Amino acid sequence: MTGEIYNPNPTVFSPVKQSGRQLEQVSHSLWLDESHEIVNQASDVEPIDQEEVFDLIRSIYDPEHPNTLEELRVVSAPQISIKQDYIKVEFTPTVPHCGMSTLIGLTIRVRLLRSLPSRFKVDIYLKPGSHQSEHAVNKQLNDKERVAAALENPALVETVEQCLTPKQN
Amino acid sequence: MESTERLVRTWVATSRDQELEETVSEISNDKTSLLNVVKALGPYLTSEEDELRRKGVEFLSSVIARLPSTKFNIASVKVLTTFYCEKLDDTETIIPALKGLVTLSALPSFSSSEASIVIRGIFNHVTMKALVQSVRFNVFTVTDTLMAKHRDTLRAMNKEFLDGYIYLAEGEKDPRNLLVAFAIARVILIEFDITKHVESLFNITFCYFPITFRPPPNDPYGISTEQLRMTLRQCLNATPAFGALAIPLFLEKLLAGSPNTKRDTLQTMAICFPVYGPALARSFARKLWSSIKLEIFQPTDPITEQEALKTMQELIKVIYSAEESSLENDEDIQGLARDACNECLQILKEPEKSQAKPATKVLCAFITTTPSITRFTISQAVPHLVRLFMKPEEALTRPSIMSLLSDLIIAARDSSVQESEVQQLALAPQKDYVFAAAMMALGNTSSRDAALSVLRGLVTTKKLLSDEDIGIVVNNLNDLLQADGNEDVDTGDAMIDLLATIATITPYHIEERTLPLLLASLPDVAPRREDVTERAKCWLILATLSRLCTQADLFETLVSRLMTKLDLLCVPRKAAENYTEDLEPTSAYAHAILTTISQTLTTKMEKGHADIAKHINRLVPQLFNLFFYSALVSEGHGMAATDSRVIAVAAQIVATVGQTLSAQRQELLVKNLVDAVFNGDPGGLADGYQRLPSGKKLDIFKRSTDKPLLSSSILTVSVKVKIPLEDMDKFLHDLLLWSIDCASNDLQRDSAWHILSAIVNKRTEDVSAFLNNAIGSIWLAEVDVDKSPNRRHTAIKGFSWLIKGLFVKGHPLSVPFRDAMFEAVKDKEIGWIAAKAIGEIVAVDGILTKKNHATVKFLYAQKYVNEMLPRIVANARDALDDQSQAAYLVALTALIRSVTRAAYVHEMPTLMPLLLRGLELPDSDIRASVIDALLAAANSGESLEKNIISEHATSLVNAMLRNSMVDQTPSMRVRIAALRFLAAMPGIVRYDVLHPSKPTVIKELVKALDDPKRTVRKEAVAARTNW
Repeated sequence: MTGEIYNPNPTVFSPVKQSGRQLEQVSHSLWLDESHEIVNQASDVEPIDQEEVFDLIRSIYDPEHPNTLEELRVVSAPQISIKQDYIKVEFTPTVPHCGMSTLIGLTIRVRLLRSLPSRFKVDIYLKPGSHQSEHAVNKQLNDKERVAAALENPALVETVEQCLTPKQN
Repeated sequence: MESTERLVRTWVATSRDQELEETVSEISNDKTSLLNVVKALGPYLTSEEDELRRKGVEFLSSVIARLPSTKFNIASVKVLTTFYCEKLDDTETIIPALKGLVTLSALPSFSSSEASIVIRGIFNHVTMKALVQSVRFNVFTVTDTLMAKHRDTLRAMNKEFLDGYIYLAEGEKDPRNLLVAFAIARVILIEFDITKHVESLFNITFCYFPITFRPPPNDPYGISTEQLRMTLRQCLNATPAFGALAIPLFLEKLLAGSPNTKRDTLQTMAICFPVYGPALARSFARKLWSSIKLEIFQPTDPITEQEALKTMQELIKVIYSAEESSLENDEDIQGLARDACNECLQILKEPEKSQAKPATKVLCAFITTTPSITRFTISQAVPHLVRLFMKPEEALTRPSIMSLLSDLIIAARDSSVQESEVQQLALAPQKDYVFAAAMMALGNTSSRDAALSVLRGLVTTKKLLSDEDIGIVVNNLNDLLQADGNEDVDTGDAMIDLLATIATITPYHIEERTLPLLLASLPDVAPRREDVTERAKCWLILATLSRLCTQADLFETLVSRLMTKLDLLCVPRKAAENYTEDLEPTSAYAHAILTTISQTLTTKMEKGHADIAKHINRLVPQLFNLFFYSALVSEGHGMAATDSRVIAVAAQIVATVGQTLSAQRQELLVKNLVDAVFNGDPGGLADGYQRLPSGKKLDIFKRSTDKPLLSSSILTVSVKVKIPLEDMDKFLHDLLLWSIDCASNDLQRDSAWHILSAIVNKRTEDVSAFLNNAIGSIWLAEVDVDKSPNRRHTAIKGFSWLIKGLFVKGHPLSVPFRDAMFEAVKDKEIGWIAAKAIGEIVAVDGILTKKNHATVKFLYAQKYVNEMLPRIVANARDALDDQSQAAYLVALTALIRSVTRAAYVHEMPTLMPLLLRGLELPDSDIRASVIDALLAAANSGESLEKNIISEHATSLVNAMLRNSMVDQTPSMRVRIAALRFLAAMPGIVRYDVLHPSKPTVIKELVKALDDPKRTVRKEAVAARTNW
């Protein structure tokens, strides 16, 4: 990444809490120390939900800053919707002229491509009205051919990998 | 003389060590002298032929190097020195001559006049660039020796020496020589008058900065980068004269360097500033700040950022500590601290932006410097943030402001720790404002976390908050805790944490305000079976209580209140009404209450609290009372306290308390116990609310509910205490048979075995008759005959505890039992159980431990593994039929699961094929533990294990993939473990080994991504990402 930084001093938000999923699990058994293992062994299916998809993308790093997409509020759980095998992810760039939007979108796509079963169709959009060239970016992100072509580019893949690698702190 | 000549001649011809040795021994024995040697060497030393001259000097140097120092006198040293110095002129002889000088210069008879001759000789004749490393090393060694022994002489030569040495040291590159050169340079810089040579000395030291040397692999000289770096740093900070020259260089390196260089530069600067002095630091302050600032606001990595902050602290300390006393008030602070502070405060006007964090870090760093700067920074930064917080238009950024503020408060707290007690806390003037802001923030959900952190900072700062303030905090937290029970977990945790912190400082606030509240909200009657929320609330309260009440007084209150509750619960006043009801929720509630006490006790135990033992006087008798009573009156109808799980927790409490008792008290406990159980007199033991019905007798072998309580007490009996039973042998015999024949549930059996194992371990000699009998008759009767499989299984398990008791203390009697067990593996019916038992004998348990006063031999597990592993492996490999082969695999996996990795790591190569086969076994528990063992090996990071895993990579990958698919592996635990192993593989196995498997793994893992379980999917994502 050379040259211009699109937003040198973005607002950092504190991460949203984990959902109350843990609470649901407790207290269904009568005895205090009955292990969760047993509860979990039950054969009920836990479908992939909004929260889980968000868990997959929240820790992606912004290409410009040492912050995660979650901290910069680029992605958030309510911006993800799931209908059966169709997932729609919406994200918000920190500034309307952000040239990194396509890269961020691509990173999200790569992450979901790797982490979701193939039965899902994923669409990635910019939040309406959040970007100058919203239409162009949307088109680029959801064009199979163009995404594939982008992933042929080793430099681009490298950058995407960097954003996906968790950092130690 | 003749022999000397002969020796010299032979040596010149052969260069053998033998002649050298002989010459040395002749001189040592006074058969000849150095003079003779020189005479004999005469023709060679003056020879026209280069080679002969070199050899002549070489011989002399070698001889004097081996002679003891007593053989030299002042005269001979003088002559030899002069001789060698002449030889320095001759290119052929310079090498051996220097060798000779190395020896001579170290001699006690070497005087200072020789020193100046030698050093002049070296300066005049030695051209460093023409010499190889080892010779240059000799030059440095001579100089170093002279520096150590004749420093004054060298100092007297001042200019001449400095010129000469600088010329000598210039351009040196070899790290071995540099180490010596740096040491010499440091002495020069500190002790010599270097005013005229600063620049040249600067050149010959700073040209090496920063050290980029990397030792070659397997470096025989063992010089590390770190070593060089440290010695060089000692030179760089040796004199203030370097300052003006050094700092621009540092700044340049800081700007351009790699992260390593940056770190080195920052560290070096930090140690150089104090030497270079405040005046210099002040004049460069602006430049330094603007460079170092970059490392903080746009850090390359966290470590460099940390170093930059430390360097800033040093700089500030140097600038301001000198005038510390004259800085009366904030107005006096001018220059860097004020400017930098203002700059940070500017940035902090937008507290929600990403730059605010580093700005706060800078301020925090300032707080930990000199007292006046601490005061100044706090007085600037804290009010600024508080004002910002109070502005209505900043309402949205309040969480950020609070979290920044908490960083500052914590920094202020940590810096005041080191300060002297008398000084007023720098934070004190701001306290009220901060406190008010934090209280406000506490009321708002979004800023609550940060506010808690601020409050914790305030509470843990000594002498800051008044008692009243803490009371207010406690009240507020109480309100919050009550207001919403189902708040999110983290915040709730943080609140309880803060309360717990307060509990350690001022327990009475908690005791007076929080405890009554919490206890009052615990219901007297158990929540109904279907009332999930109510139950969750109870658990939450109990967990909170357990966290809060580790302090002695609080714990006592907790125990007495909870015990009252328990009694009411288990023995209801209106008894009849309760019998018809569902008893299980009541038992579960009682269980939860007891678990709370037990957990708190365990925590106290870990912290080493001293007040545990006294609970033997109240808590334990009450427990016994309650359970005996319940057992006695429970004829025909249920009692809440007769549930085995409830008893188990109670037993745990007794055991924990028992561990802390003295031997006498233990003896009393056991005596009372025996009275109660065998003699029907529970008076000494059980003392509490319930009146025990008289006339009924607890028959231990019939009424079994109290067994765990009994067992828990026996566990803790130390070796010294005698158990007052008439016939121990018979007791154990009956106990074992009872456990096999009559015991009705696992808890009873387990506790019987625990007693058995504990007694066998502690009082082996008292029960020898039983032991001898056991192997012969009982084993034969119970295990070997055609009894029902279930019964035989139970017997095997019982015996495994017996063996355990013996083995842990290294008793020889364990051997026949073990062998018998080994035989049993071949049996179709009980093979697996026996195999498991063999493996689990060394498993760590809470029973036979030092804490419980058991006799435990050092490294017994290691010994067991060494003996058993080869035997199991051999059997697993060679067994004839599949069934027993599988059984031995079971034994192997059980064994591996029971011991630490270190015990079997050296056997890994032979184990690997067997473990792979273990992955095919149907038992999912075994598979999971095999994978866990493999995972431990994978994560160990040792090359041996990596190699083994690489060797079997393909088969491992396939086995793991099979184990991670939901349609083939119903057990979630196995799937998770297998996926974890897959995730670890790319990190430890070389890529070229894994490459062929990659497409398969990627393809197969897609299926795991669609696993019905969320946690499995999470692992699958991690694994697939890693591939």
